[in-house]
Amino acid sequence: MSANTNFQPKIIVFACENSGWLASEHAAELALSYPEKVELIKIPCSGKIDVLFFMKALEKADGTIVMACQKENCKFIKGNIRAAQRVKQTENLLKEIGVEPERVGIHYLAANMGQKFVEIVQNFYDKIRELGPNPGKVIK
Amino acid sequence: MIIAERKPIEEILGLLSRHQKVLVLGCGGCVTVCLAGGEKEVGILSSQLAMARSKEERPLEVVQQTVERQCDFEYLEGIRHIVKDVDAILSLACGIGIQTCAEAFPDKIVWPGVNTKFLGVNLNVGEWAERCQACGQCVLDKTGGICPVARCSKSIFNGPCGGSQDGKCEVSPDTDCAWALIHDRLTRLGEVDSLREIMPVKDWSYSRDGGPRKLVREDLELESGK
Repeated sequence: MSANTNFQPKIIVFACENSGWLASEHAAELALSYPEKVELIKIPCSGKIDVLFFMKALEKADGTIVMACQKENCKFIKGNIRAAQRVKQTENLLKEIGVEPERVGIHYLAANMGQKFVEIVQNFYDKIRELGPNPGKVIK
Repeated sequence: MIIAERKPIEEILGLLSRHQKVLVLGCGGCVTVCLAGGEKEVGILSSQLAMARSKEERPLEVVQQTVERQCDFEYLEGIRHIVKDVDAILSLACGIGIQTCAEAFPDKIVWPGVNTKFLGVNLNVGEWAERCQACGQCVLDKTGGICPVARCSKSIFNGPCGGSQDGKCEVSPDTDCAWALIHDRLTRLGEVDSLREIMPVKDWSYSRDGGPRKLVREDLELESGK
């Protein structure tokens, strides 16, 4: 557990507009809530995510994830596979500079999974909260 | 194209350890194509550097810029105003770009951010292979378009040698025997008899053996000067 119990991590979620983003809208329809310091960024496909996006996100956030379509269910065939590969590449870059690779991740869900969306965000938020502030954060 | 690979992050952090503000300078040429030093790699490396230094509580201000080509002085002229405000430049260009940068900005420290590997071709995503050694006297007309200088481990001219087996080189089972490739291709083209001609000893003075090389084409000169 982080020494600072008041620590509220900043999380950036990149959400595929065909799954994660729609799931967030579904969560809103169900009036489900998640932590305030979670920023959602809509992307046209999880395959649009780039190592650079994750790294720039981690310059100001404590953790970042991409919400992708279920495996073998990407509208653009390989977008979620590529996103997973970029998560791995980012993990390696973080390891190189001694930042915990757990600060980046990928989760798969469908458009009608509002409940699942909130669970994923809350679990990641709790995990980062336990991990503590991002030691490499540039914009404090 | 020229193939390069980014230096290990620890090495780069070591080079920049005494600086507070650096310019990470990318190149839009070969290193962009081989994903070592283009605009995107500048962004990723800059993030890594800034985060690594922030972690050490010794912040590093990173200015990012990518020019069309670092091996041309005119493109470097356009960033002179940026260069004057930084402690040093970390160049992600090939060795040529790095040296051109150092020559263009004689009062500024220029660090290399990549290791320049070879002149080669992209075979697959993340896979490159050597194809030319710039020996200065091309023999591809005699060898079916396959270079014995760059692709034969011994750079021999009347191969294959005794180390060729099943089309592979004795140096590594992953390396094709250049002379097996040459023989196969010339056979396919119906030109294999051309190999009966013994190639003379190569004049290596056109290559590195003649010292650093320079090419001057007077027909292109418009006026004297650089």
